[in-house]
Amino acid sequence: MTRRLIVYPAMVLICVASLFPFFWMIVTSLKPDTEIFTVSPQFIPHEPILSRYTELFSGAIPRQFLNSLLVAGATTVITGLIALLAGYALARFKIPMKKYLLIVILSIQMLPQTVLVIPLFVVLRNTDLLGTYQGLVLSHLALTVGLATYMLRSFFMDIPVSLEESAMVDGASRMKAVRLVVFPLVWPGLAASSIYGFITSWNELMFSATYMQQSSRETLPVALQQFFSSYYSDWGGVMAASVIFTIPVVVFFLLVQKRLMQGMVAGAVKG
Amino acid sequence: MTSTTSRRARPTAAPARAGSRTRSRWDRFGLPSLLLAPLLAVILGVVGYPIVRTVWLSFHEGEYLMTGAFNGVDNYTEIFGDPYFLAALLRTTIFAVVCVVTTLLISLAIALVLDAGSWAARIVTVVVLLPWAMPRVASGIIWKWMFNDQYGIANWLLVSLGFDSFKGYAWFNDGFASLVAITIAVVWHSVPFIAISMLAGLRATRGEVLEAARVDGAGFYQQLIRVRLPMMKPLLTILGVMSTIFAYQSFDHFLVMTTPPGGPSHSTEVLSLLTWLQAFTVLDQGVAAAMAVVTFVLLAGITAVYVKLSKEGT
Repeated sequence: MTRRLIVYPAMVLICVASLFPFFWMIVTSLKPDTEIFTVSPQFIPHEPILSRYTELFSGAIPRQFLNSLLVAGATTVITGLIALLAGYALARFKIPMKKYLLIVILSIQMLPQTVLVIPLFVVLRNTDLLGTYQGLVLSHLALTVGLATYMLRSFFMDIPVSLEESAMVDGASRMKAVRLVVFPLVWPGLAASSIYGFITSWNELMFSATYMQQSSRETLPVALQQFFSSYYSDWGGVMAASVIFTIPVVVFFLLVQKRLMQGMVAGAVKG
Repeated sequence: MTSTTSRRARPTAAPARAGSRTRSRWDRFGLPSLLLAPLLAVILGVVGYPIVRTVWLSFHEGEYLMTGAFNGVDNYTEIFGDPYFLAALLRTTIFAVVCVVTTLLISLAIALVLDAGSWAARIVTVVVLLPWAMPRVASGIIWKWMFNDQYGIANWLLVSLGFDSFKGYAWFNDGFASLVAITIAVVWHSVPFIAISMLAGLRATRGEVLEAARVDGAGFYQQLIRVRLPMMKPLLTILGVMSTIFAYQSFDHFLVMTTPPGGPSHSTEVLSLLTWLQAFTVLDQGVAAAMAVVTFVLLAGITAVYVKLSKEGT
């Protein structure tokens, strides 16, 4: 009984702390300036307005949203493919120096981005990929493939080898066995590691800010950061832009949160 | 491996067996190489090569993003004689330690609450995770708004609680106060993942040992400190090291929340931000590369610990 008296209030506190910034962002974006700049905060907008959103949608935001969607989409698909192939190989085959390869794959996750940002700039400039979607996608792959591969490997390892074997004994080729037997089972894992790739790419700032500045192809994090540093007193507008930026990731996240966390926790814990 | 044995056991005609032998060689070498090729290409191309290139650059002059002449360890002697770099190195380290300790303690508290289990815990788990999904740029902006001097909700709350000195308090005019605000924003963002990992760890400790402790009359805290936390030691170490590395790499929150980046007057410069500014604002690539290499060596040390400990854990 005493434990309940602690646990339930604690849960309320946890929820408030987690959700309040989301709530405050949305509420601020809907309030007219007169209600934003008040000495004591107004928690519910009296006269909610949508003009900030309509204004943003008539500006550069739709294009930037599309840019982000394109880059994150391509990163997601390519990451998923690479991780699917490599994850299968690492789960099923005897590979020389596999132990070290796995360590390398996990270590990529720990790499400071500053080590990559300068040489990749040089590479992209020399190959005329600076400010292009392909260039940014390429740089984002460096951040996503490691953990995605590791996650998919652990999903493959959870599928018993005997399933494939019996299909192959029945005369199916390995390709067919994988396609018909293994793939349907590993599908949730693929979804999880792809979404991980999507969220990473969608949120990424350092590479995007370096390679995509002053470009019509700039992505949302860069646009938002620049918008904020030049119009930082327009809090309502900045909040509306943040809402637009946040919604897709949160939706994606809610769709697959269970699998995603399983995969990430496995990556962290199984080491 | 096992697939070849099972196929050998299968009675087949001679031509088919010959076919299966070539296929098994393909299975053993060709196929895995082909499957791993894209991953290896990415690792070598956009990770391996850049690391080598950065190390190489750090021994050269580099101005205006052009690589100049070899200058030995000049870049390194320059940064280790640079008070701003040394201050950033120390500041990042302290920031990382504070972030990690706060993150781990809050995460453990949340994990324990969720582990107490009830119909509500499942919903709260999803809620706890949400901050992780918010883009860091957006969360930086929102926290900066909440720490606004005149209209921020943080100051309003503090004043309502009786701390009158926070009336109109300008958090971002002062390096230390800025760092406090940024730490809160970063911890808010990093707690979800750690808390859920810990919850998984706590659940794994339920079993005979814990039951035995309970039967022996161990209370909640005794169970936690004597039995459960020691059982979770490998996980806790890994989570500690992981969050240390993430804290060391913090960039987005600093770029968004400080004006000018790293300000006021260099008082919030951390390693990643300083390196990035050095490379793309000061345009001194060589020195920036040396800073990146120092960060890399530091984190590689931490990663080595991580790999070693995680191996001991399994």
